[in-house]
Amino acid sequence: MRIDEHPVLSFERGEKINFFYNGQEIEAYPTETIAAALHAAGVRKLGESPELHRPRGLFCAIGNCSSCFMIVDGEPNMRVCVMKVRSGMRVEEQRGKGVVGI
Amino acid sequence: MKHIEVMVIGGGPAGLCAALAASSLGAKVLLVERDEIPGGQLVKQTHKFFGSEKQYAGDRGIHIGQMLLENVIAEQDIELWTDSTVLAIYEDGVVTVEHEGKHTKVKPDRLIIATGAAEKFLSFPGNDLPGVYGAGAVQTLMNVDGVKPAKRVLMVGAGNIGLIVSYQLKQAGVEIAAVIEGLPKIGGYLVHASKIQRAGIPVLTRHTILEAYGNGQVEGAIIASIDETWQPIPGTEQKIPCDAICLAVGLSPLTELAWQAGCAMAFVRELSGHVPVVDDLLESSRPGIYCAGDVSGIEEASAAMVEGRLAGLSAAFSLGYEANEAKALQQSAMEELAELRAGPMGQHIRDGINKVKLKRKIGNHAFENQTEKSGIVKDYSSDATNTCRAEIKTSLINDGIPTKEELDAIYPSDKRLTEGPIAIVECFQEIPCNPCVKACKRGAISMLRDINDVPVVDEELCNGCGLCISLCPGLAIFVVDKSYSGDMALIKLPFEYVPVPKSGHFVAGLDRAGRELGRFEVVRVTSGGDKNKTFTVSLAVPHDLVMEVRGIRIGEQAI
Ligand SMILES: Cc1cc2nc3c(=O)[nH]c(=O)nc-3n(C[C@H](O)[C@H](O)[C@H](O)COP(=O)(O)OP(=O)(O)OC[C@H]3O[C@@H](n4cnc5c(N)ncnc54)[C@H](O)[C@@H]3O)c2cc1C
Ligand code: SF4
Ligand code: SF4
Ligand code: FES
Repeated sequence: MRIDEHPVLSFERGEKINFFYNGQEIEAYPTETIAAALHAAGVRKLGESPELHRPRGLFCAIGNCSSCFMIVDGEPNMRVCVMKVRSGMRVEEQRGKGVVGI
Repeated sequence: MKHIEVMVIGGGPAGLCAALAASSLGAKVLLVERDEIPGGQLVKQTHKFFGSEKQYAGDRGIHIGQMLLENVIAEQDIELWTDSTVLAIYEDGVVTVEHEGKHTKVKPDRLIIATGAAEKFLSFPGNDLPGVYGAGAVQTLMNVDGVKPAKRVLMVGAGNIGLIVSYQLKQAGVEIAAVIEGLPKIGGYLVHASKIQRAGIPVLTRHTILEAYGNGQVEGAIIASIDETWQPIPGTEQKIPCDAICLAVGLSPLTELAWQAGCAMAFVRELSGHVPVVDDLLESSRPGIYCAGDVSGIEEASAAMVEGRLAGLSAAFSLGYEANEAKALQQSAMEELAELRAGPMGQHIRDGINKVKLKRKIGNHAFENQTEKSGIVKDYSSDATNTCRAEIKTSLINDGIPTKEELDAIYPSDKRLTEGPIAIVECFQEIPCNPCVKACKRGAISMLRDINDVPVVDEELCNGCGLCISLCPGLAIFVVDKSYSGDMALIKLPFEYVPVPKSGHFVAGLDRAGRELGRFEVVRVTSGGDKNKTFTVSLAVPHDLVMEVRGIRIGEQAI
């Protein structure tokens, strides 16, 4: 859920855009990171751990911890907590180790 | 390879001030920040800061950050690289940076490391479930992206961060189940604890989290009381339903670059971990490399700004800029630091710094000589820094709710109370803060020694104007008017939530523990202004409740 009214801050979000999460269309604002846009849509599970397949979500939100790896436009191991969402972007849950195509 | 006189790594309060200070003496500076927007921790801090005027106390963290950044941008001699991460510092002094997608080399004459800190983690079963967040992540989501991180949060840790982030969550409309703390007392400032208690958020000391549970994401937590040895007491387990668990269990200095650079390091518990050993001018054991801010010991933004300034001055000075003026500026920065650290809240910092000093003396002779050569090193351990002051030993330290004795000691005389409005300053702890003193144009609020003293109101000088209410960062000042009418007295209180009540509304009046005392009429609402953003709400309450009502709630929201 987005914060509409705040006692100190005002959020200038710009025009709405759409992106895809596991193929499903989701609304977002260009000022948001992928992780924030997913959170606003109620998605908190971003991937699964490589070995035990435990659900993974956001932890640090500043690009430090690598807990938020997802596949973005086909590229794995993207830290979606520091990556801005773009119109038409395809974001997928990452399961297992991300394999980088050469 | 790019050559620069002074390179600053990290654009938090320390780095921004370091860049400004070095360039003010004439040095050419390159400031490198990993994030898109410089400011470090400040970009997420919506609350008003403590400290003194010199460190912009009373301003909100975000505004301090914006102001410093504007100054940096306006300064021609500072080149600012954002979205750029420093990767390594090599033996020959070359620094590599990921900048504009490229691997770039920089050769600085002087280097200032101001990389700040990283959050600590806590082990418990289920701590990897989505919904377990660091406090910083919660702040980024809500205060930078404007997204509610959850509906109901369990906060782990009652240091300043845990208390402040709980308050910020409440402001964003998120419910806090409780704040739990393993220590027997609240570590953060008590004014922050009081503020959240009166909003109805319980603070439970000597409690820990046993596990997080949930199917695929957090659905709740099990907490329990602990004994003196930190062992959970059987039978005290409680199930707390919540959709997020926020960890505010401390920060540790982000020192990788200092290690890499070969700076002498020391483990100092009081400074929160391994820190680079620096001299009074903040130079490390590697000549030409300085460290400032949280990277050399977890402290406050107020101290980080002054340290940044000192490191910037020292770096530029050592390059030969403005030798005469620089010494006086360095001296005043050191005095400011000593003042900030002089109270009981600065005890651990003083102890930590003394330990580092000792290490430096034993460890490295060359290093020691170099410090002495500068000629302006002063040992603060003998004056302000060693005065031992009153520590709070009542239940106030456990829950943030002042006792009757504490309150009686600060209340004005009965006679003065009946004569007209007067300020009641409920600030009992010696913290480095004094905006209240500056706020009162009548000089009615004073502090005995320095900014670490508790404020005292002169009941003759105070006319109850209420100006100080919205200027106290602790939201600890109230005005009481028993002369308001025959059956009603007036209480004026600070207010920082949405929606803002209007005069004529009836709202619930809450006591210091957030319990409802009745529904009362709002008589007046005044705004602190566009930047201040704290409202002052006047509420008419029965005479016998005017010393009890300290918060309000509109609808379901406790405030
Ligand atoms: C919730 C909370 C509330 C607080 N409230 C207060 C308060 O009321 N009053 C107060 O005085 N203090 C407060 N503080 C403390 C204060 O924010 C910190 O002490 C202060 O920000 C430290 O400043 P710094 O510049 O050392 O580090 P930071 O603010 O952490 O900045 C470090 C910067 O360095 C950057 N960086 C790190 N590594 C690299 C790299 N390799 N390359 C490039 N850049 C890098 C980071 O991105 C960051 O921007 C609070 C802190 C928190 C978390
Ligand atoms: S109420 Fe007015 S006069 Fe009294 S202490 Fe506050 S600012 Fe000063
Ligand atoms: S009363 Fe004064 S010292 Fe206490 S928090 Fe407020 S401004 Fe700071
Ligand atoms: S959440 Fe830590 S790197 Fe993204």
